[in-house]
Amino acid sequence: MILGDLLDARVRGPGGEHLGTLVDVRLALETLPGDDSSPDYPDREDRALSEQVRRRDRVGRARVVGILVSPRSGAPLLGYERTGVTAPWPVPQLVRRRHRGTFLVPWEDVAAVGPGEVRLAAGYRQEDAALP
Amino acid sequence: MKKLLGVALGILTAIGGFVDIGDLVTNAVVGSRFGLSLVWVVVVGVVGICLFASMSGRVAAVSGRATFEIIRERLGPRAAGANLAASFAINLLTLTAEVGGIALALHLASSVEPRLWIPVAALAVWLVLWRVKFAVMENVAGLLGLLLVGFGVALFLLGPDWGELVRQAVPPSPPATEHVATYWYYAVALFGAAMTPYEVFFFSSGAVEEGWTAKDLAQNRVNVLVGFPLGGLLSVAIAACAAVVLLPAGIEVSSLSQIVLPVAQAGGTLLLAVVIVGIVAATFGAALETALSSGYTLAQYLGWSWGKFRRPARAARFHLTMVVALLLAVGILMTSVDPVTVTEMSVVFSAVALPLTYVPILLVANDPEYMGEHVNGRVTNALGMVYLVIVVVAAVAAVPLMIATGAGS
Amino acid sequence: MSREASPGAGVRVVDARLHLLSRQVLDVDGEPVTTVDDLELVAADARDDDAPRDAAPGEPAEVGAILTGPVLVTRLLGGRPPASRWERVPWRDVGHVGTALELTVRADSLDVHWPEGWLREHVVGRIPGGRHDPEEDS
Repeated sequence: MILGDLLDARVRGPGGEHLGTLVDVRLALETLPGDDSSPDYPDREDRALSEQVRRRDRVGRARVVGILVSPRSGAPLLGYERTGVTAPWPVPQLVRRRHRGTFLVPWEDVAAVGPGEVRLAAGYRQEDAALP
Repeated sequence: MKKLLGVALGILTAIGGFVDIGDLVTNAVVGSRFGLSLVWVVVVGVVGICLFASMSGRVAAVSGRATFEIIRERLGPRAAGANLAASFAINLLTLTAEVGGIALALHLASSVEPRLWIPVAALAVWLVLWRVKFAVMENVAGLLGLLLVGFGVALFLLGPDWGELVRQAVPPSPPATEHVATYWYYAVALFGAAMTPYEVFFFSSGAVEEGWTAKDLAQNRVNVLVGFPLGGLLSVAIAACAAVVLLPAGIEVSSLSQIVLPVAQAGGTLLLAVVIVGIVAATFGAALETALSSGYTLAQYLGWSWGKFRRPARAARFHLTMVVALLLAVGILMTSVDPVTVTEMSVVFSAVALPLTYVPILLVANDPEYMGEHVNGRVTNALGMVYLVIVVVAAVAAVPLMIATGAGS
Repeated sequence: MSREASPGAGVRVVDARLHLLSRQVLDVDGEPVTTVDDLELVAADARDDDAPRDAAPGEPAEVGAILTGPVLVTRLLGGRPPASRWERVPWRDVGHVGTALELTVRADSLDVHWPEGWLREHVVGRIPGGRHDPEEDS
């Protein structure tokens, strides 16, 4: 199965009812202890700004947690409905309004994946889509 | 002392590098037809490029991602692909204009036909990209480009009626002979000439490659905030010379020789020679940057290895892209199309293309995943949104105005 | 403020399309290799020496590989290249994930690198100065 098969698929409930579109797949990356192999710099002034700011984690496995379903079609711009970003006004606010009601379905509650369509199992859970 | 020299060098190369063939031609055309009544557009454009350049410099330095990588990562493959097609095409048009500009300036200096200079100019651009150490080429082109201050010198030597010039500018009073639509068409063209998209591709990629430190970012901000307005002043000097000499005589600008006519008139052959060297340097520098931008946009969209600091063998597809772009530019110019016309088209289409780069940068400048705590402040965002409106209005109005005015005729 | 990976194993939650797709893949030296065009999902409970099994809906699944391929045309016009045209970079070669994905192997060792390698050997490397380091004082 590849990710592209899941993205933009129609999502249907156990009874066949139309729930929305699959807009993203949530993964849990296992982060490993840092090895800090970067060379020692004499002072912080010499370090590239991007090295000081960027967050990069050493990762192991990437487990599939669940799928994100939006009641509207179309991929939400920059995922604003899941992140807490509020600037620049009014862009995140408009995206949030359009994709209001996006929810997360745990992977265990996905029953079947077919061409262009994903069917959820009976008793599927709807969880908060916000990124932790 | 050495530090001061370094800072000065940065500012001077920013000034000398500001003017390219687009600024040269558009300001001269505007000066010859509208006097200084469009100077306010240069001011708006300079403030805009200062904002845009410093924001994209900060985004590149902090996130470690170059502009087109950000466009690809944030817009998704299809939207970014459309963005690439448009940006690459307009970049190619600008490259063609710059190479044509080099050939025209060399033609002015010698009596050799421009068509013969075109392949020579393109080959010279390629050789510099292939072998010359980048800091050297940037500093030489930037410092020699400062010779364009000859336009300012010429303006003083011409002894114009300063009061009249100010009256044309504030409040903007276009001559009655020109149609309102033409006035606004040239406003868009002048805006596109000041806020060229290739600038952003070029130095965001440089910021990433060089691994800018906080000190480098501060230096960049000084270069931009001091150097670009002074470069804008050079643009205004070009327009003013045209306003003083060409406008009263009703001379329309259609070739480089008319653009430098005020200089020859004011300072004779010596000043003319100085200014021609400045034009060659400025257009050559801009051709280098635009050629690199064509490589950066394609390589960053497709995820290829890129970089002017990498051995060509470690960034083979990137270098070949630049070769192909230069060959295409030469091909277009060899059809005997007028490089001045190509330049006029390239600045208008630059205005059309501006939102494509501006919007993603503005959005990502607010994204904590890329910027950490260095996201835009309130003031930057407020100014950024104002310019978003200006940029979108200019982009939307450009083509209808071009059609309505027959490209300004 | 330096934020390296925190000591001890942890979990970072990301969304595939938002955080991984279209991101740059860098090799161990920081040289760009390709972009993440798609991700292969496999069953999570396979033992390491088994061949990876395709993921099944509802069963534990994980990312098996980064997929990259001749997607330029399909990206622009729609559709997807056939499975045989995809190139795989196994997920175990991924060392760090930030705004880009950093591998633990060198670009030259990857199949996906072949067009760049071919052009280096047969075109760019053959032009005089192609292998010269522009930042060296010559």
